[in-house]
Formats: sequence, C-alpha cells, structure tokens
Amino acid sequence: MTSVGGKDGLNFEINILPILDILSVLICFLLLTAVWVQLGSLDTKQAIGDNSTAGAKNPPSLWVTLDTKGGILLSLRDVPKGTALEHSILATKAGVNWDLLESKLQALRSQFPDLKTGVVRPEARSSYGNVIKVMDKLKQFQFDGVGLSPLG
Amino acid sequence: MKTSLNVSGQRRSLLTEVQTLGNGVRKKGFGAREMALALPLTSLIDAFSIIVIYLLIGTQNSGVESAIPGKMTLPMAEHATGVDKEVPVLKIEKGVYYVNEKAVPAQQLRNKLTELKNAAENKELEILVQADVEMDYADLDPLLRAGSESGLTKMKFAVVPAR
Repeated sequence: MTSVGGKDGLNFEINILPILDILSVLICFLLLTAVWVQLGSLDTKQAIGDNSTAGAKNPPSLWVTLDTKGGILLSLRDVPKGTALEHSILATKAGVNWDLLESKLQALRSQFPDLKTGVVRPEARSSYGNVIKVMDKLKQFQFDGVGLSPLG
Repeated sequence: MKTSLNVSGQRRSLLTEVQTLGNGVRKKGFGAREMALALPLTSLIDAFSIIVIYLLIGTQNSGVESAIPGKMTLPMAEHATGVDKEVPVLKIEKGVYYVNEKAVPAQQLRNKLTELKNAAENKELEILVQADVEMDYADLDPLLRAGSESGLTKMKFAVVPAR
C-alpha cells in the first residue's frame, strides 16, 4: 500500500498481473492432470476349483456360447423339463445380432423369473469386445451372477 | 476518478491508467494516436477463479484413477459400475500380463494371484482386468484358469461407461 499526497489522497494499487499468472498456471496444471475418462467395470463371479456337488440342486442358468463369427447359442440348464433348451442366434454381416439377442434374453427372463445366472462361453478366437458386450446384455436383463467359462 | 487518484500530481503507472479508464476511453493529455486499451482485469480474475474452482471440484471425484495405456481401447458397456476402491490391476497387452505394471509370465499368474490373495486384508481379492477390445478371448483364458486355481472369485473388467 502506498500513501501519496496529503491526508485526503490515497493511492492503493494491487499488482494484478502476478495473480493472473498464478491462476493461469493453476488452470494449465489442472487441465493437464485431469482424468477425463471415467473408468467403469463389469463385475463377474467366477467358479473356483471343482464346484460340482453330488446331489445338490443347481439354480437355473443360461449358458451363452459365442463363436468367432458372432453366432450365439443360448442353452438353458437346470430348468423344468418340457421347455426348449436351446436357442440359436445366427451372426449377421456386422457380427453378433444384438437385437435378436436382446429379444431372446427378454423372453427367457419373462419365461423363467428365477433365471439369474449367466455363463459366457466364448471360442478362443472370439473378440474380447463381444464377450464384454454379451456380459453387458446379461446385466441389462438382471442376471445377477454373470461368469466367464475358460476354454476347454 | 481522476481527481481522487491524481491529487498528488505524480505520474501514475500504465496499469493504473488502464484500470481507471473505461473500454476504449481516450486518455486526456496524450496524443490522439494513443488509445488506452482497458483490460477488464477484475472480471478476468473472476472468470479464472471460477475455472480453477470448477476444475478443482471436477477432478476430486470419488472414482479411482487408473492409468490406461494410450494404445489400449477399452470396451464400452452400458451397465457398468464405478470403480470405488483400489484393487490390483491386471493388464493384458499382446499376450503379456502385467500385475500392477510388473510383467508376469503366464505360468506364474497363479502364484502371483495367490500371493495377492494372501496379502489381501479380508482374503476376498478382486482384480481389475484391463484389456484391449480387439483382443482374442484366448489371451484371457490363462488368467481365468489361474484365478480359478488360486481361489479368485471376483473379477472386474475395466470398461468405458457408455453415455
């Protein structure tokens, strides 16, 4: 603060340019270090070891077999007898027929309300992106337990 | 304005002149060619402060930061959940496995996962798998087998949430 002149005059001068510099540097730093892509995750429940227990009743499950070209085979296990156990979805030119898969999953969920377990069985050359998308579709139709099956 | 600040008769700095003049106001006493460009510094500082505060708040989100290699394209998913806690990251790049940025041979994955599980506080280990969208499923298979053998029941697959 600088006092000049008599008792009536007061020249108060703040140096604003350094403040602007500091703020500019702060903005640049924050822009450079900001995380712009928010990461999400798809959770899976994997079977460990040999989970087969003799005599135990398994919950109904849907096995989704994904081939290299995008064809899908839906197989139902541990469901009441007398129902169609397999549904095939042929691949389109673009790969997996996602619309048909959605409609099939919706029909299965309404037919079997207890069907909450889904296991994805891709082939070795299947795309990881397609596998994740199939799991995403299962999550969309409230399959709580979604798992991946190893090759074999 | 002029009377209050120029009582002493001393010559004022250029900054003061600029600040006390309005936009495009011609300063008296100088030649006709000189035009004082009045920078609205106060509003500029206001704007800068708002940007700083916005960026500070925006970058302090609750999500966990995770480095993703520039060449890796994560798959997109509509029903992804947020990554809310620090978990070991297992990255797969061209068939090479990296556990927390350290390369681990496929044959050693089981031992490494068992070691991580034993080191985990509640023995319920979760790992975050990062892999490219174009990767073959065959590259993921050794991890699934190693996870099964080491008792790893929960796996998180890193995705980019679709808007």
